[in-house]
Amino acid sequence: MLLRAEALMPRVAAAVRTGRTSRLVTTGLLLSLACVLGLVESSIAAPIAGARLGLANIAIVVALGLLGETPALAIGLLRVGIVGLATGSLFGPASVLAFAGALAAWVAMCVALRSRAGFSYVGISVCGAVAHVAAQYTVAVALTGAPGILLLAPVSLLTSLLFGIVTGYAARYIISRLEVSRLSGR
Amino acid sequence: MTHADRILIIVIAVLALLIGPATMVASGYASASSAYIEGPSGETVVPLGSDRVLEVAGLRGSVVVEVVDGSVSVRDAVCPDELCVQVGQVSHAGAAIVCVPNAVTVRVGGVRSGGLDAVAR
Repeated sequence: MLLRAEALMPRVAAAVRTGRTSRLVTTGLLLSLACVLGLVESSIAAPIAGARLGLANIAIVVALGLLGETPALAIGLLRVGIVGLATGSLFGPASVLAFAGALAAWVAMCVALRSRAGFSYVGISVCGAVAHVAAQYTVAVALTGAPGILLLAPVSLLTSLLFGIVTGYAARYIISRLEVSRLSGR
Repeated sequence: MTHADRILIIVIAVLALLIGPATMVASGYASASSAYIEGPSGETVVPLGSDRVLEVAGLRGSVVVEVVDGSVSVRDAVCPDELCVQVGQVSHAGAAIVCVPNAVTVRVGGVRSGGLDAVAR
């Protein structure tokens, strides 16, 4: 089944309007899902320097699809804060990169969702994953003043592309299930 | 996966593969092949390729910087405890020897060769 974002949006919007409480509950659940996935990911050692799974992106894409742009932004930024607090990297130099990545991913996914090109959730997820990595490298180069960091960028971008596709499929599956369940407020 | 998705993925993959060579070209001249010696009288750039001994004027006296086999060290300095001499030889990019009393800094320049500073998530 091919789920196009634009075809999905009116149905989802109608579903979400029905219940404020269920909307709040879904936001909370997705935030906790994003945090757990972020924590799981932080305890998996990266096989290659610069590669990341971006599992938490699943929750952000689901939030974007089910709840809209503002809750997705809130979940994205709060996730970085909570995971940073739990792993002890909050307010460290790396957290600037993490926040920049989360923000850029949100912007890119919103653009992809609104665009008329017809991206599915897979394309939206890829946009988010790649924007996340691109923003982190941009900020890292700006902070350190060492453009040599960019030598790692192809590896990161290609792995983020791969995992963006994977998380996109996962998000699409979750969205299709949540749509018919009570969680979407119907 | 829609048609737009496929185009997006191909475009990103091509761009990602192009960044590598582009960075190589842009930063090729900045490999870890020179030491930057900064003192009260200004900055000197010394290539690490050829061995040499250099005398830098510091605030309290001269600092003798030595380049041997691609690594740099401070051989002698006019200062109380000679911490800079005790550092010994450094060669990897980003490494530095500092002589605080003389306000002289010896820094190996170029692209970092390895190790992680921080991990972003």
